[in-house]
Amino acid sequence: MDDETLCCCEYYDSFKERNHILACCCNCVDLDEAVDSLIRGKKVSDNNKTGLLNTMQDRLRVPWRGGAKQVAFDSILPVIILPSMLLLGSISLWWTVFSFTTVAIFLSLIFNFLIKTIPNTKFFFVWTVTSMVLLYFIFEFIVIPFLEILVEENILLSALIFGFIICLYTTKIRANELTSLGTEECESSVGKEVGGFYNCRICDNKIPDKDHHCVWFDCCISKHNQCCFIAALFFAIAALLYSSNLTLTSVCHPFEFYKTILLPDDCSDVYYQFELALSFVSAIYSIAIAILLTVILLQQIFLVSIGMSLKEWNKLSIISKLCLGLNTKRIHNRGFLKNWSKIICWNKYQYHPLNREV
Amino acid sequence: MITRCVRIICALVICVAVYFPARHARHYEYIPLKKVIQELTFVDGTPHSENHLRNCSYEDLILKSKEVPVSDITKPKKFELPLRGGEYIPRQCNSIIKTAIVVPYRNRSEQLQIFLNYMHSFLQQQSIHYKLFVVEQNNSLPFNRAQMINYGASVAISLNYPCLVLHDVDLIPLSTGNIYACSERPRHMSSSLDTFRYNLPYLTLFGGAIAILSQQYEEVNGMSNLFFGWGGEDDDFYTRLISHNLFPYRFDPEISRYSMLFHRKQPKNEERYETLKKSLKENKNDGLNNLHRKYYIVQEDLFTRIVVF
Repeated sequence: MDDETLCCCEYYDSFKERNHILACCCNCVDLDEAVDSLIRGKKVSDNNKTGLLNTMQDRLRVPWRGGAKQVAFDSILPVIILPSMLLLGSISLWWTVFSFTTVAIFLSLIFNFLIKTIPNTKFFFVWTVTSMVLLYFIFEFIVIPFLEILVEENILLSALIFGFIICLYTTKIRANELTSLGTEECESSVGKEVGGFYNCRICDNKIPDKDHHCVWFDCCISKHNQCCFIAALFFAIAALLYSSNLTLTSVCHPFEFYKTILLPDDCSDVYYQFELALSFVSAIYSIAIAILLTVILLQQIFLVSIGMSLKEWNKLSIISKLCLGLNTKRIHNRGFLKNWSKIICWNKYQYHPLNREV
Repeated sequence: MITRCVRIICALVICVAVYFPARHARHYEYIPLKKVIQELTFVDGTPHSENHLRNCSYEDLILKSKEVPVSDITKPKKFELPLRGGEYIPRQCNSIIKTAIVVPYRNRSEQLQIFLNYMHSFLQQQSIHYKLFVVEQNNSLPFNRAQMINYGASVAISLNYPCLVLHDVDLIPLSTGNIYACSERPRHMSSSLDTFRYNLPYLTLFGGAIAILSQQYEEVNGMSNLFFGWGGEDDDFYTRLISHNLFPYRFDPEISRYSMLFHRKQPKNEERYETLKKSLKENKNDGLNNLHRKYYIVQEDLFTRIVVF
């Protein structure tokens, strides 16, 4: 190996040789042998198959500073699926319905499979980021050039998106702090059952007061970051609804709902022009996500108010769920106001092993 | 330190590029509602009316403007049957506004029906003296909106109309106070259009509905005849006006609201930028003074039809 630093497209492959991204389709011994045996009418050996898969995984890389970075196959899936869903959807109304339902079915099928087989998959987080980037780019470069949106409307939308990013970032930072807390705790009390700490089987960490693991944000949510999580949900819903309203009133025929609030009333002509169709489809996608997030937000607000974690809620029987969980014993419940103040004023030093309340 | 500066500069450049005002719809300067009446130009009563009538007053109409709900546009309206050829002279007072409304048209009979039904009742409520001219292009060439307007305008001018309103057939005024009269300077009337989210796409937009004095229209030699297809002719007309020191303006958005009847966005004329350059040079010989096509005039019940071959 030479000591020269790698350019952004180069990497050291599994044979410790210097390689280039552009050469990804060249020189694969296993592929050669597999094709060779196919032509001769022989069976492709298992060795060749696994070798082929390994080489593919090894060469799947993105350019990065200091050498190309390897990416998992499952984490680049959303980058392919999402744009193709939006592009297909902009052909006609039936294609929109078709591509959206296909993706919805695919997601529900792959959800449990991925969590079981690859617990720490980045698939869902990449999905979130890709959606965000795609929707923002479509808005900035397709909807804005219709010249129908005012500067202040664009700035307000950016502010909402910025708020979401800040909250998402804080949620993840705090989740990392919790992980380190959990690790310390376990080291200091080896072999003992530690109260209040839950083992997350998805990210394999000990998390104090865990609520649930959010795959879309790729981190655990507990009392420490639940406040940021709820704020992030709120900003995301606001940004999605606002951007979809701006888009739909631009591409469709709007009417005045109340004073300056416009709503679309006739979208029958959007599929005649590609830009209009793409904007329309992205707006529909935004609304779909916004509805899902609203359900989650309402659930979070409700659970915090009654002082329960999502984990506990899921264990309840149907009857107690119908009674809104009020008939069960809630160990962490301290009353409506205290539940909320506990979440908003959470302090990480509260969980130091020495002054932790038993 | 340097990398930090570079990053800050990059962020600034991106911000400016993203929020650049020209990428967005614009706020614009306008004549506030109270000053609108001072801007209007009037004529001395129409010859047909009797002398004992007092002059019509338009102040209340403008200041007490109401909004027509979009759903009411297609409803049948009650209006007095105008004189043959679509001319109306108010009888309750002596009109001091005399306007020719020129509508370029081809193959949109459904829209024309709605337009005529709505406009007669709308304009009669304003108690102005008006006449509707519908200019129809009857040949196989692509639609030439500007040329049709030129023919309509030349007919209207020959009939001594001092004020022209150049109006698209698919635009419906929603504010009752949007007076169809000319002002000192050419006026862009449809600045608050529903398909544009009631915003103005760009400051030099000068299409849709325009009010201009006949004398000014003749001064700039009308619109260019070179624009076939959709788009460009209004921008060209704007530059013509500017080069003759006629600076268009707009009235309060409150009285400038319009609805577009059918909202399909049509493919744009690819050559329009080329034509735009060409037309600026040929300003003097291209316009009102080189209309060579044959046309005939039919007096219909509700409008004057000018058919251009």
